[in-house]
Amino acid sequence: MKFLVVDDSATMRRIVINSLQRIGFNDTVEAGDGQEALAKFDSSVKFVITDWNMPNMTGTEFTKVLRSRDDGRHVPVLMVTARSVKEDILTAMEAGVNNYIVKPFTPQVLKEKIDALLPAAAA
Amino acid sequence: MSDSRAQTAYYESEAALRLVDKELDQLRDGAEAVSRFVNLSLADLPLILERANNQIRAVLSHLRETRQALQSTTFEKLQTTHDKIKEVTSATEDAAINIMDACDRASQIVDELDTIDATETPDRGKATELRATLRDELFMMMGALQFQDITSQQLAHASSVLVEMETRLADIANLFDSSLATDRPLATLQAGAPDERTYDPNATTRNAEQRQHLADEIFTAVKAPAA
Repeated sequence: MKFLVVDDSATMRRIVINSLQRIGFNDTVEAGDGQEALAKFDSSVKFVITDWNMPNMTGTEFTKVLRSRDDGRHVPVLMVTARSVKEDILTAMEAGVNNYIVKPFTPQVLKEKIDALLPAAAA
Repeated sequence: MSDSRAQTAYYESEAALRLVDKELDQLRDGAEAVSRFVNLSLADLPLILERANNQIRAVLSHLRETRQALQSTTFEKLQTTHDKIKEVTSATEDAAINIMDACDRASQIVDELDTIDATETPDRGKATELRATLRDELFMMMGALQFQDITSQQLAHASSVLVEMETRLADIANLFDSSLATDRPLATLQAGAPDERTYDPNATTRNAEQRQHLADEIFTAVKAPAA
């Protein structure tokens, strides 16, 4: 299963990708912002993990555009971000995010959220 | 203080400074009038002095209001920035200590593996268990590096506040005397500020579990979009 990992921090991309590898997902593609992510997204991507605060195009903007595309309408989107006030969480949900992880996160939380969305990703 | 409140305080300060400027103009006009009156009659002097006194009081009152507005705005902003920088220091230290602790534990595990290898009949089961623990420790060290992403957002926020302060001070200097304007145009100052889209002003390493719990509650209470 291919994961698209979107974050402007190279450190965070590595942490997320290493966490994915640790739980058995080795097929990953990475992007530094929403625009790059849209360019790299295709139907082979089955799961998206995205940050919120990024240059050029934020994670919520990226998710909205993704949801407007036929090939991105149903792909699970997991947001991993430092933003954690109620309004932000609701905004992410409205943009089409399926679940939400607050930074700094533990590998256990990442695994739980991915596991919960896997059935949708496999569909 | 929110950006809108800061903006309001700034406009109020600007308005107050303009009033001060107007009052000073009136005072200057008054002074000219005084010289005219003096030529006319010294009997008018008390009236003129009273008028001058009232004008000076009005100027002082506006200056006080300006000072209070500036003080409350800049104090709160700078205090928040100071707190953010302190948190960066604290988060960096916490991460460094966590990583050093994990290094110590990893080093101990390597010693235990060496001991197992040195025996005539090595306990393979125990060695496998220790290797798994060692991997966990290495993974923990990597996870601790998440602080870098959060502290960089905190520093970006602190930097944006400093740029805002510099811009505000330059604006105030312009109000008093445009010849005092900084060599760096305001547009250049503002261009040096970090991109607002790249950081969260509230980013923190603290209370991650509580904040995750809030997100989980919201996603449970409000039905998340079906994937």
